[in-house]
Amino acid sequence: MANPNLMNQKQIIDVVKFRWLWLAISALFLIPCVAAIIYLMATQPNHAPIKLGIDFTGGTILQYATKDNVTVDDIGKIREDMIKEGFMTPIVQNINNDNAGQASTNGIKNIISVKTGFIDDKTGETTAKIDNIVSKYVDSAELVQTTSVGPSLGSELLKNSIVALLLAFLGIVVYISFRFKTDYAVITLLSLVHDALFVIGVFAIMSIFSNVYVDALFITAVLTVVGFSVHDTIVVFDRVRENNRFLAKKYTFNEIVNASVNQTLARSLNTSITTLLTLGALYFFGGSTTKEFIFAMILGIAVGTYSSIFFASVLLAWDKEIKDKRAVQKAAA
Amino acid sequence: MKNKIILFWAIVLIVIISIAVIWKKPTSLGLDLVGGSRLMLEAQTSEAVKKITPEIMDSLQYAIENRVNALGVGETVVQKVGENRLLIEIPNISDTAKAKEFLGETAELEFKEPAGTDANGEPQWKTTGLTGKDLKKSSVATSQTGEWIVSLEFNPEGAKKFGALTRRLVGQPMAIFFNGKLQSAPRINEEITGGNAQITGGGDGFEYKQAKEMVDLLNAGALPVGAQIIEENSIGPTLGADSIQKSKFAGLIGLSLVMIFMILYYRLPGVIACVALCIYSVIVFAIFKIIPVTLTLAGIAGFILSIGMAVDANILIFERTKEELKAGRSLFTAINSGFDRAFTSIFDSNMTTIITCVILYVLGTSIVKGFALTLAIGVLVSMFSAITVTKNFMHLMFGTGELKHPALFGLKQSDIQNAFVATETKKEKAKFGVLD
Repeated sequence: MANPNLMNQKQIIDVVKFRWLWLAISALFLIPCVAAIIYLMATQPNHAPIKLGIDFTGGTILQYATKDNVTVDDIGKIREDMIKEGFMTPIVQNINNDNAGQASTNGIKNIISVKTGFIDDKTGETTAKIDNIVSKYVDSAELVQTTSVGPSLGSELLKNSIVALLLAFLGIVVYISFRFKTDYAVITLLSLVHDALFVIGVFAIMSIFSNVYVDALFITAVLTVVGFSVHDTIVVFDRVRENNRFLAKKYTFNEIVNASVNQTLARSLNTSITTLLTLGALYFFGGSTTKEFIFAMILGIAVGTYSSIFFASVLLAWDKEIKDKRAVQKAAA
Repeated sequence: MKNKIILFWAIVLIVIISIAVIWKKPTSLGLDLVGGSRLMLEAQTSEAVKKITPEIMDSLQYAIENRVNALGVGETVVQKVGENRLLIEIPNISDTAKAKEFLGETAELEFKEPAGTDANGEPQWKTTGLTGKDLKKSSVATSQTGEWIVSLEFNPEGAKKFGALTRRLVGQPMAIFFNGKLQSAPRINEEITGGNAQITGGGDGFEYKQAKEMVDLLNAGALPVGAQIIEENSIGPTLGADSIQKSKFAGLIGLSLVMIFMILYYRLPGVIACVALCIYSVIVFAIFKIIPVTLTLAGIAGFILSIGMAVDANILIFERTKEELKAGRSLFTAINSGFDRAFTSIFDSNMTTIITCVILYVLGTSIVKGFALTLAIGVLVSMFSAITVTKNFMHLMFGTGELKHPALFGLKQSDIQNAFVATETKKEKAKFGVLD
């Protein structure tokens, strides 16, 4: 039972009238993302749309914590020495562990991350070799984290992750077709792909310009973003469904969609703001190891809010318009 | 109203029980928070073993369990994953070189007989067929001279073999090799029939630690098949402590920011939402301890995210209640219909999250599983807390009368329309939400 007076309220956003503007904004953001994804798929030997980390390709990452300052020079020298010792294309990075000036109690200032191919030694000799190289340039370096994934496990994990993503998409679509209508489900799917493309695309762009590799947590982030995006879209659609049930006789579908978006606007924004507040706190003050995971979620929540207001509802109104037109043509013929 | 008061005390009771649970039960923290090693082993097929059967996996698990337990580091986990894998978790040991060495050792005990000498006059040995497989058990003991020795007890078949071997070798030395290294080569003076033997440490004797390690390896038995490490994850305790401290700090900041926002925007209902949020957190945390859920970094992220969703449920409800109030409904009706109408949105959107969680839990790796589990628990509890706790508190706080101070909801008097004016319904009817 909808409230008819709300239809007469001042409407802040007109999603139907400025349809092309909203779709253009989406395109403006998505085109570079898609371009980056295609570029990576074409240039990467494994044709992945994004640079995959050791979770998926296999490899070893050693992380050393240090209480000293680490210079770019040190990092470069560690890399050179490793190549001399016969390590193939090692990647050495320095991760700053000081968050917003809040020094950690353990005094860990920097984390040096060394990435190599899969180290398969039961004796620990290879690791000891890297230990020596790192401590040669950074005195207080202490091995704090070892992550190693065998190549066969990596490709299996990748396969599982893709299956998980597709199954999640399918599950959501089936649920929405069951609770709403197939039209709604297809549009939800489109806006979910819109959001996933954006997050993956931004990481693709980042990985072209720097050493950003995605791990299993990234897939989790994308899936969560997908969940949130659907969450947002459903709230708007739920309102459209409700308004349409009671007011379809008095108002056009476009008017109903517009009113529904405006009625749920405060909620959409407030939810995003509170979620972004928690994520922001995690990003700035949380551990350095989960930063990229949080960043992916921040991107996803932001784009998810946009797509539920300006993408899903635009498509919903448009879809109906096209269908009505066809019905009229049919009737005329 | 009576029902509402009973419900209120039920909620209080649940909170007290939850706090007691949190107080009593220890939190189980994941290896990424306390530090430790996580290894994934994959059983390897060979010429001798063409297919890895469940029986082989059982004995591999048993052998590895024995070896890992011998490290004596508390709650270790050895568990089968899939058809041919073992997951091993060793808390507090982040030096995997040590852990891996132990896992890789094959505990091969061999008795060999002399086979002449080589060019340099070093004695050579050849295999006799008597090995560690013929042992029943071994233990650390002291010799008559007070040195540490390893005492061996053969199984019936081994005792027979050992008897025959010693009879053949009377007057000659017999060598004992452990993992390819000569331990000692005592001279056999007479046939030994009792099925017991001992290994002395040769010239220097054994240290206690050496003898103990050897006994542990011998008792654990050889691995039935080769096993390869395909995944390894070790985290030093300093990094773990660093992560805990940072997550706590970040969580507190995030929660306070959300609460400030909710109170500023929604006023009195915002305060209620904050109380409900605290109750929510306490209940979720208690459930984590009851199940028990091992908290990892990703798990904490899932929990914090579920707080976001719990807040969302409150926001949906309050927005809806405000709309109803604006339409001129009485407080009681507005609150009730606010909840009823928001519920379909909350339910549908949370169901999609649950669907994603189930898929992640089934297909994900252990990190992802932790995230999915905490998020799913959080979402389920958030439905309960929003619908039961928030609603109950709202009713108790506002009673059933008219809204005298719209500012409590962040509304202005001028916002409130008379629903009956707009829809030509009688005022009395409009109050109860009847709009025709």
